[in-house]
Amino acid sequence: MKKDDIFLPKILTFLCNWCSYAGADLAGTSRLQYPASILPVRVMCSSRVDPLLILRAFLNGFDGVLVTGCHLGDCHYQEGNYYTRRRFVMLKKVFDSLGLESDRLRLSWVSAAEGQKYAKVATEFTQKIRELGENSSKNKIFL
Amino acid sequence: MNKSAETSEKKGAVLPIKTSIQDSIKDLLKNGIDHCVFDAVMIPLRVPAGDSFSYVLIKNKSLLNDAFPLPPTMSVQGAKAVSSVTRLGNRNMKIAAVMRPCEIRATIELTKLDQTDLENIILISMDCPGTMPILDMVNEPEKTMTLFNDATKSWDDTQMRPVCQICDKSSMVAGDLHIGTLGTDKKSFFIIPNSTKGKDILEKLKLPLTDSIDSWNKKVKENSEKKLKKRQEVHSDLKNKIGDLTNLLDIFSQCINCHNCMRVCPICSCRLCYFDSNKVKHSSEEYLQRAKDKGSIRILPDTTLFHMGRMMHMSLSCVSCGSCEDACPMSIPVAQIFSMVADETQRLFDYVAGRCLEEPLPLRTYKEDELHEVEDVHG
Ligand code: SF4
Ligand code: SF4
Ligand code: FES
Repeated sequence: MKKDDIFLPKILTFLCNWCSYAGADLAGTSRLQYPASILPVRVMCSSRVDPLLILRAFLNGFDGVLVTGCHLGDCHYQEGNYYTRRRFVMLKKVFDSLGLESDRLRLSWVSAAEGQKYAKVATEFTQKIRELGENSSKNKIFL
Repeated sequence: MNKSAETSEKKGAVLPIKTSIQDSIKDLLKNGIDHCVFDAVMIPLRVPAGDSFSYVLIKNKSLLNDAFPLPPTMSVQGAKAVSSVTRLGNRNMKIAAVMRPCEIRATIELTKLDQTDLENIILISMDCPGTMPILDMVNEPEKTMTLFNDATKSWDDTQMRPVCQICDKSSMVAGDLHIGTLGTDKKSFFIIPNSTKGKDILEKLKLPLTDSIDSWNKKVKENSEKKLKKRQEVHSDLKNKIGDLTNLLDIFSQCINCHNCMRVCPICSCRLCYFDSNKVKHSSEEYLQRAKDKGSIRILPDTTLFHMGRMMHMSLSCVSCGSCEDACPMSIPVAQIFSMVADETQRLFDYVAGRCLEEPLPLRTYKEDELHEVEDVHG
């Protein structure tokens, strides 16, 4: 297979400033390999990510959306990520109840020390999205 | 108004029906004004043209004669009415608000969202046989009145809005007082207190509580079990009918972006909605960019974003009142879809919108040890 034939998904990734962004940074400075599919967006806390932003990315054709934050108990704002988890579960349920592919959405806790984990999450999620193929919203005009 | 009150044995007073149930309720309200248990009543009145109803805040007792405690159609959702009167606080006037159970439940959700002040409000609900489509009243007022009148006696819901035909909470007691007409001998009705406020009122009006509302309990249980079964069937049909993005888009493809559904929704009370904000006002460059990315872009854009965005923002508080569907000029089954999604999202948190004031909004609270299934399995 030619290199161009491999489907490189577009994955929007929210990284919280205090843990996950540093984790992603560490993955970079440690020169860990992970796919170029990730488009990072830094936010101050995972709880800043309104489900609407995730939905918007999905409807605008991103093949996957990854939300990352500090491990539970480690949020810089004490409890932000507990709220993130509740919202995320609700968001997935809305997707499921309408028959949309909620597998394209993922929530992961990545600490500042977990460069390895970040690279792994990015790689595995990209793989998963490859299996799912392109997001069908990409070809829909009447959204 | 607590969760335990819902399940524990309720007591109530039994009152005779003299001419009609509506008249008896009005007598009770007049009695309340006479005994100064409240200063005013918020209740629907038929508009002079006869083809609609409107909430009216009544100070003058004699005007109560024209009131309709239970009108065939729902114009403004009652929660919106309570909120507009009390949002800025209400220190001086004790108001009895007479509404359907779903309107009271929406009021309770709005209270959790700091959009009402219930301190001086007495919420009075009654067993609801359903609500007829709002346009029936406009098109054929007299026929609609007759059909509804018959339905309050037979409890036949075939003329009611689709979302009412699958309402299993039509007798849910969430306010201060509830008027029970089910399971009675037709010559009397129950009045059931659900809060200290409600109990105090019955005491002041010298209405003794009896233990004999078993027949009401039984009938309500029967009715809601029947409706719940139907609700689950209808929702699962709908879910199968949607099933993917293409079908979802098909359902909403007729949407003309009027946003009526949002404007009339009692829960959508944000001062500045995302969908009215500058965030959805794009420059022509942005439109062109999106057209370039995809080959083309629908104008106006983001219909699905609007509907699903609303589901994300308010489905946990949706009370399936059907106002959105009544207001949709394109007859899109908005309320049926929202009620399906809402049942699923609320079930996640064992939450029922408007069931009780003390239950916190699910997104404003959390448990440390929960929902691990959504966290990533990696690493
Ligand atoms: S979404 Fe529709 S059914 Fe639900 S509360 Fe709002 S108006 Fe009522
Ligand atoms: S009321 Fe109907 S047509 Fe108007 S925005 Fe809502 S769904 Fe679309
Ligand atoms: S700061 Fe990282 S999740 Fe809140």
